[in-house]
Amino acid sequence: MRRRQPSDPLPLSNQKPVDEDVRLELAQHIEFRTEELVAEGWTAEDARAEALRAFGDVLSVSKECRQITVRARRSLRRDEWFGALLHDVRFAVRILRRAPAFTLGAVMTLALGIGANTAIFSVVNGVLLRPLPYDHPEQLVSVFEATERGGLSDLTEPNFHDWRAQAHSFDGMAAYGTDIGTLLGADIPSRVRTAAVSEDFFDVMRVRPVLGRLPAHDEFRVDAPPVAVVSYRFWQDRLGGTQEIFSRRLRSNFDFQVVGVLPQGFGFPDESDLWFPIELYGRNESRTAHNYAVVARLKAGLTPLDGDRELDALTVPMREQYLPRFDAVGGTVAPLRDLEAGPLKEPLYLLLGASGLLLLAACTNLASSMLVRGAARAHELAVRAAIGAGRGRLVRQVFTESLLISTLGCVVGLGIAVLLRRGLLLLAPAGMVPLEGAPFDLRVLGFSLLLTLLTAVLFGLLPAMRMSSVRPSQAMREGARHSGTRQSRRLWSTLVAVEVALAVILLSGSGLLLRSFSAITRIDPGFRAEGVITALLDLPDASYADVHQAVAFHDRLLAVLADAPGVVAAGVTNRLPLEGNSPGGAIQVEGKPTLPAGPFTGYAIYRTASTRYFDAMGIPVLAGRPFNDRDRANAPRVVIVTQGLAEREWSGEDPIGRQFRVYGMDGGEEPYATVIGVVADIPHGPITGARREAYWYPYSQNPARTRSMKLVVRTAGNPAALAPMLAQLVHDIDPQIPLEFRTMDDRLASSISDRRFTMVVLASFALVALLLAGLGIYGVVSYTVAQRSREIGIRIALGAEPSRVQRLVQGGAMVVIGIGIVVGGVGAVAGTRLMRALLYGVEPDDPMTFGLAVGLLLLVGFLASWLPARRSAAIDPVRAIQSE
Amino acid sequence: MPNELDLFQGTLDILVLRALSHGPMHGYAVARWIREGSDGTFRILDGALYTSLHRMDEKGWIDAEWGTSERGKRARFYELTPAGRAELQQRASRWDRYVSAVALVMAAPARA
Repeated sequence: MRRRQPSDPLPLSNQKPVDEDVRLELAQHIEFRTEELVAEGWTAEDARAEALRAFGDVLSVSKECRQITVRARRSLRRDEWFGALLHDVRFAVRILRRAPAFTLGAVMTLALGIGANTAIFSVVNGVLLRPLPYDHPEQLVSVFEATERGGLSDLTEPNFHDWRAQAHSFDGMAAYGTDIGTLLGADIPSRVRTAAVSEDFFDVMRVRPVLGRLPAHDEFRVDAPPVAVVSYRFWQDRLGGTQEIFSRRLRSNFDFQVVGVLPQGFGFPDESDLWFPIELYGRNESRTAHNYAVVARLKAGLTPLDGDRELDALTVPMREQYLPRFDAVGGTVAPLRDLEAGPLKEPLYLLLGASGLLLLAACTNLASSMLVRGAARAHELAVRAAIGAGRGRLVRQVFTESLLISTLGCVVGLGIAVLLRRGLLLLAPAGMVPLEGAPFDLRVLGFSLLLTLLTAVLFGLLPAMRMSSVRPSQAMREGARHSGTRQSRRLWSTLVAVEVALAVILLSGSGLLLRSFSAITRIDPGFRAEGVITALLDLPDASYADVHQAVAFHDRLLAVLADAPGVVAAGVTNRLPLEGNSPGGAIQVEGKPTLPAGPFTGYAIYRTASTRYFDAMGIPVLAGRPFNDRDRANAPRVVIVTQGLAEREWSGEDPIGRQFRVYGMDGGEEPYATVIGVVADIPHGPITGARREAYWYPYSQNPARTRSMKLVVRTAGNPAALAPMLAQLVHDIDPQIPLEFRTMDDRLASSISDRRFTMVVLASFALVALLLAGLGIYGVVSYTVAQRSREIGIRIALGAEPSRVQRLVQGGAMVVIGIGIVVGGVGAVAGTRLMRALLYGVEPDDPMTFGLAVGLLLLVGFLASWLPARRSAAIDPVRAIQSE
Repeated sequence: MPNELDLFQGTLDILVLRALSHGPMHGYAVARWIREGSDGTFRILDGALYTSLHRMDEKGWIDAEWGTSERGKRARFYELTPAGRAELQQRASRWDRYVSAVALVMAAPARA
């Protein structure tokens, strides 16, 4: 029956009385009994022996009694604790309801802070933290070639095959490419995202069809009958979700048969709907034509760095063997996540950091208003301390109020976060953040709960400690008005300085983004976007099997457009400005060594265009002539180059009449083409990027890629208004061509919309921080004036100039603001360095931006302290002194 | 004392509650009251009384406090709480029903 005694959690000091109580009580009993027996005539010795016998086992009884009592006291203490908590909460509710304005302000301030943080975090969580929806996503990597030009590029086909065969770091390596094609044979002609993948692709991604099968080994051949697997979504939406899809023939790039359906949610790469064997697109044996994007699965336990090293080593002998028709210097392996998160990473982390600073500003603001309230409540707290509330008890009471405020703030903040998140996703550039990619999951909720606790500690604990340290005697004697000691004034000054500093940091950061954005909008892109409308002309491969049919289509369309009303100039090109730097390849200039020794520098971007493309796009022809109608397929081959290319290849000499040719593009070497014109450099990729050298062929002389061209129309009036007429003209020729119009202005704007997004969000944070700083200064100076009104009244009564008094009051505030600005300036210099990658045309320590931020804060600080300080000058000395 | 009886399980509690229903008492007084009230019929070790007291203290039926005994010594006094009073009433009525039922059966005439 002996039970092991549980380890006793009660501290020794509490246990002692229990032991003592029980011991004493039992001893007493024995004593009483002995005395009674003695009175009955027993001898003392016999009496005691009888008393003990009648009692039983003293030791075990005392032990049992002690255990029972200890247990009882423990549960009593728990009940007391909960009771006190309930009391604290009730009391806090009462206190807060008595000051509805303060409570509302505090809750809303926090709600904004928590809401902003939660919204940003939900996007960060969805885009950057959520694991990719593939099996063991941490093993998936992208593979690139590191090229002589210092960048990364996709792999060439032969390099891919060599690496795939030789590298041991991977459990599989697969190539893929993406395209947007036209689909015929389903319900309506529509555009689909297609992917071309190599045989290992589905193994690397570890995806199995839910219906049908994957393409078989024999179907990954150039001459195999085309087959495809489709996405679950495509199967449901376009094919009716039935089992009978396998008998249907569809037409896109090929006449093909569907053999399988992939599981729901799988869309890699680029949310594709159709996956074809990559071999169907033909082979390209060039080692400088970078056409294959590559995804691989690292062997378990290996890091991307291991992959890098192995690929670098494999590249050395390849380079020796294939130079000079080889431009890779090594391989680069990066987590697939980086590719998927893409350009979002830096802006999102910046915004997350900024929203953290904003929350800190909100807490600081609240801490100072809690202190002001605390001073007003000093009397109440002093009374409570006087009637016996311990300091811990008072801290707990005041902290409960803070916790209540931040809990309310969290609830409202979650509501705000839902709205903000929607706003963020609307504001975010299309495709930057997938809506379903930012769910409110448990992690987001946990994050906001953590924030709630953190804010309660930040803005509540400090004031709670301060407020509870009042000495009852002093506070009660002096009354509430004088309890603002020098110490608490110093604390307020610190809080105000912190608010100012945070506002300086956020203002500087958003100022830099603003200046970057304005610098970007002032960039001369080298083309004129106003009045230009564009459309993708995607000719279905199946109906335009012969590229000459495609050429004929464009010839005919451009002839019609030349006479159309409202059209100033119309042209076509394979890639618009801003669309991306590929494709490109090496060129060989006539008269120069066929293949220069040493680093290969002959890279240039490859484009095709129609005769009036440069007019339509507004790209100025700087020398020579644009294409004209005589530059036909059978005429001498001609080419137009950018200024940059002309300077690189023929610097100081006249480039017109010179000749060059392309290696490796479109298979094999081509004949030389003669330079007939030079045009301005334009951004092929991001507008802020380097303007790479490029050249254009007439599409009629290089028709290989004419099935997918972009129509460019310069209009006299509003370009969007011309779209219906243009669509009519295109469909008069071929009604099966799907069209999506976009103005060039829109393309330009959306190419920088991620920057605008980051800037707008950061700027709104900065404005809120500025507002908080202003309110904080105003509140503290107002309170100081009210508190010192007696002293001020005496000064004025003794003959001090009211304006001097006002300057004195405001001067004190401005010193604090100045300190905040200096601290914030240091923080901003350190902080803005981290955002260098997001800046354009401005340095992270740009003095003008910092100057503006400081100036703005000085102005706001001056106004916020001037308004209440003015009141000090208006104090009536008689009333101020009498009011005590 | 050869004629002593063992107490039924739980009976001690009801006796203690009953003792305290007259007013606050210390443990020894309770023990004496039971001994004298029963004419020494029950075989109780005094120690069992104390575990009973402490257990009922934990349950909130009685309250304990240190005080001074009639002979001027410090002693721990026990007092019935309202919950204890209710408990006593409930148990006492159950006890009465139990005893009278047993008595009824014992007194029943033999079957015809």
